[in-house]
Amino acid sequence: MSEDIILDIRNVTKRFPGVTALDNVSIQIRRGEIHGLCGENGAGKSTLMKILSGVYPHGDYEGTIIYDGKELNLGVGAIRQAREEGIAIVYQELTLVPNMTVGENVFLGKEPVERGAIDWNKLYADTRDILAKYRLEVSPQSVVKYLGVGKMQMVEIAKALSENAKILILDEPTSALTESEIDKLMEILENLRSHGVTCIYITHKLEEFFRITDSVTILRDGRTVATLPTRELTQEKLVSYMVGREMKERFPRSHRKPGEVIFEVNDLHAVDPNETNRKVLNGVTFNLRRGEILGIAGLMGSGRTELVTTIFGEYGKITRGSIKLEGEEIHVSDARDAMHKGISLVPEDRKGQGLVLMQSILKNISLANLDQFSGFMRIDGDAELAAATQQARALAVKAPNLQVRVDSLSGGNQQKVVIAKWLLTNPKILIMDDPTRGIDVGAKYEIYKLMNDLAERGVSIIMISSELEEVLGMSDRIMVMHEGRSTRTLEIAEATQERIMALATGIADELVAA
Amino acid sequence: MAVSTNVNAPKPSTGLSAELGKRFRSNIQTYTIILALIAIWILFAVLTNGAFFTAQNVSNLFRQMTVTSFLAIGMVFVIVTGNIDLSVGKLAGFVSVVAAYFQANVWYQMIPDQPLIAAILSVIIGVGVGVLFGVLQGYIIAFLNVPAFIVTLGGMFVLNGLILLVTQGKTIPANQPYFSEIAQGYLPPIAGWIIAAIVVVFLFWNMFRSRQSRARHGFELSNLGLELIVTIFFSLLVIGYVYWVNQYRGVQTPVLLLAITAMIMAYISNNTRFGRYAYAIGGNREAARLSGINIRRSIFLIFILMGLLSGIAGIVLASYVGYGTTAAGQGYELDAIASAILGGTSTLGGVGTVFGALIGSLIMSSLTTGLQMLNVAPAWQYLVKGGVLVLAVYADVYFKKNR
Ligand SMILES: Nc1ncnc2c1ncn2[C@@H]1O[C@H](COP(=O)(O)OP(=O)(O)OP(=O)(O)O)[C@@H](O)[C@H]1O
Ligand SMILES: [Mg+2]
Repeated sequence: MSEDIILDIRNVTKRFPGVTALDNVSIQIRRGEIHGLCGENGAGKSTLMKILSGVYPHGDYEGTIIYDGKELNLGVGAIRQAREEGIAIVYQELTLVPNMTVGENVFLGKEPVERGAIDWNKLYADTRDILAKYRLEVSPQSVVKYLGVGKMQMVEIAKALSENAKILILDEPTSALTESEIDKLMEILENLRSHGVTCIYITHKLEEFFRITDSVTILRDGRTVATLPTRELTQEKLVSYMVGREMKERFPRSHRKPGEVIFEVNDLHAVDPNETNRKVLNGVTFNLRRGEILGIAGLMGSGRTELVTTIFGEYGKITRGSIKLEGEEIHVSDARDAMHKGISLVPEDRKGQGLVLMQSILKNISLANLDQFSGFMRIDGDAELAAATQQARALAVKAPNLQVRVDSLSGGNQQKVVIAKWLLTNPKILIMDDPTRGIDVGAKYEIYKLMNDLAERGVSIIMISSELEEVLGMSDRIMVMHEGRSTRTLEIAEATQERIMALATGIADELVAA
Repeated sequence: MAVSTNVNAPKPSTGLSAELGKRFRSNIQTYTIILALIAIWILFAVLTNGAFFTAQNVSNLFRQMTVTSFLAIGMVFVIVTGNIDLSVGKLAGFVSVVAAYFQANVWYQMIPDQPLIAAILSVIIGVGVGVLFGVLQGYIIAFLNVPAFIVTLGGMFVLNGLILLVTQGKTIPANQPYFSEIAQGYLPPIAGWIIAAIVVVFLFWNMFRSRQSRARHGFELSNLGLELIVTIFFSLLVIGYVYWVNQYRGVQTPVLLLAITAMIMAYISNNTRFGRYAYAIGGNREAARLSGINIRRSIFLIFILMGLLSGIAGIVLASYVGYGTTAAGQGYELDAIASAILGGTSTLGGVGTVFGALIGSLIMSSLTTGLQMLNVAPAWQYLVKGGVLVLAVYADVYFKKNR
């Protein structure tokens, strides 16, 4: 063969109890290309990458993998071995140690040592160089847990890049990144490609395949459907390969008439409860009508998450302004109180805030809703199971049954469990913070339909999303935030990507006087 | 099992052996520990030429495990929420000396010749002391945010002081007639059989009731044959136990008390919000909080519950040994923690069962009894117990990885 194949995956099969995650998968990856990997939630993408990076060592799967001319045989200490062989990976879920600094994280497991002791100066200097090389604006000394999710993701990427890898695997690297961070990542990838580094790229944002990849492999239910050069593909084709049928539209539009205003936020100011001199909200004003979907757009760090967690009583300390529910001023003390008042929040970070990973799907879905199924003492286990089953069905959670632990689910299916849990709370106001992160196009569509149904039944929804298309596709109105303030709220008819970006970046002078 | 939501998932097999296998794999932890217990029993039976299994010895073995079992059950809840309680041994000890003190110095003056009332009051006061101490520690932990490790470590010192204050360094007898029955009594054989019958009827009733309820909700029913086998197996276990201890002096009152307590606690852990919340808090505190769970309240209640169980353990202890001493309850907290962990409770929180803790506790007391019967020196008993603890947890880790 004339082509230079760096990685030849031949007939790989991987089984978990009750699930065949990969079924006879074969893929060839050429040296120096960016190879996209695409498929629905649970198709087996992450599992395949975990085999390459040694999480599932040789013998844990069937089939052969030829890497750089010889069989990849990762045995004891497989993860380290893979790294030494030049395979670096950025996992779908963050793997940083929150209490350590950026530098410590980047060099975790390969700390520079000088006469038996860690050479801290070298470690931080090297970290600084790596960060500078990729123009990442993070201090090597900052503690990771204080960085936002986007920054963490960039640190994670820097960590992988520091390995001087021959193959770089990126499993949904952009799901938590802003547009500008994505641009930066794309630049880095192009730069790596020009230096001959091979890259495997997984994403659910289909347009990214067309932006960066040379060829794309589509997986469905653990099987390879096709590998095609990107230039022969279109979005429609990609989607039909993925889901096995045509999808006419990405956003279902329903014709609903939002009712009267039921929720008002007026000139809300708040500070960080741990550092009371740090302002997080500087005047947010908006209202929400019954049965309306209000999108909140803004850049990372514009205060969107801070706003909704403050409303939910879980974050900011309110210093000025008011929140009114059905005409009456409310003071929400914590999540519990918020839920009593009929407000629910689908949190941003599924692993940290949404799920109890070691518990079953069933217990996770019912956790916030046990009052529904309980008498004075006893939980009616069957009613609980019936309700959870219905939710899991509606969202097409892919799992052998509801008793399996959520940490055995694919990332997107975990996200569906979080959504199922909060849908079950029957709120008056449902706040969703980036609800479709990491979810495939087909399932997104199902979630959008559910949102429309809820809105038609009179539930008011606030949706944060970093994907502008999604905000534009789903909202009745869009409130744009900039630096902790609300700017204009646009009617959907007058909203365009350009207009939102202009407001979000503060270029447009449309700020509403507080 | 739940309805499959994945169209492509293989249809759950309904064959008997397949389902047995499935059940075994999903409960591997419980089975590992039960196998360990059986292995230990067989070993002792062989080494003692069968003396280990005489009715008298079995009766004593189960009676002996009760005190730490009460503590271990509570400890499961505490550890599941990601906390620890180091004070339980001393708390049980303190309760036992208080109960002894009242019997030796108070009741005969206040209510002479009323042994029944005296016994009841002793129990109430003892359990009350346990609960009060639980309230105090729970309050400091849950509402003042002092870590449980520190609060209960301090509590251990405080209780040690209190024990010395009450006993004045002396041993106080606690052998009033009714009071002694709590840990030393036996039910007449016929009562034992009645209880066995009730339990068996309950097991079958429960099986059919849950099948009915599942059918009503439209769930697939699991294999009837398998469920029958499981139910019959447990029924035989109960009947066999009653038969055997009846060969000696009958069902032991403290064992009955423990069984009832364990059943209530197992029920609470699975079927009430309180129980569920405990597991969720230990599994992911942040997710629990955002789900609207009142974490402080849950933790507060759990330490009160631990206090209550320590109180019961203390009463049984006093009745069992027949006196209160300065060393009462010494080291029991470690036995309780070891039992819970042997039984599969995760030190990281979020995982653990009451049933497992009971088996763990049974292993610990089997080791004690067996080694004593073999005249092994106490020093070696400690060595063996420590080794078994680590080995058992390693076996568990090993099986989980190689499932
Ligand atoms: N540790 C595990 N134990 C059991 N099943 C697992 C485990 N890890 C993955 N699976 C199952 O394997 C299948 C493939 O999962 P995988 O994570 O590879 O999906 P994915 O394509 O990355 O999906 P997503 O887009 O949602 O991230 C899923 O059905 C998942 O439930
Ligand atoms: Mg994945």
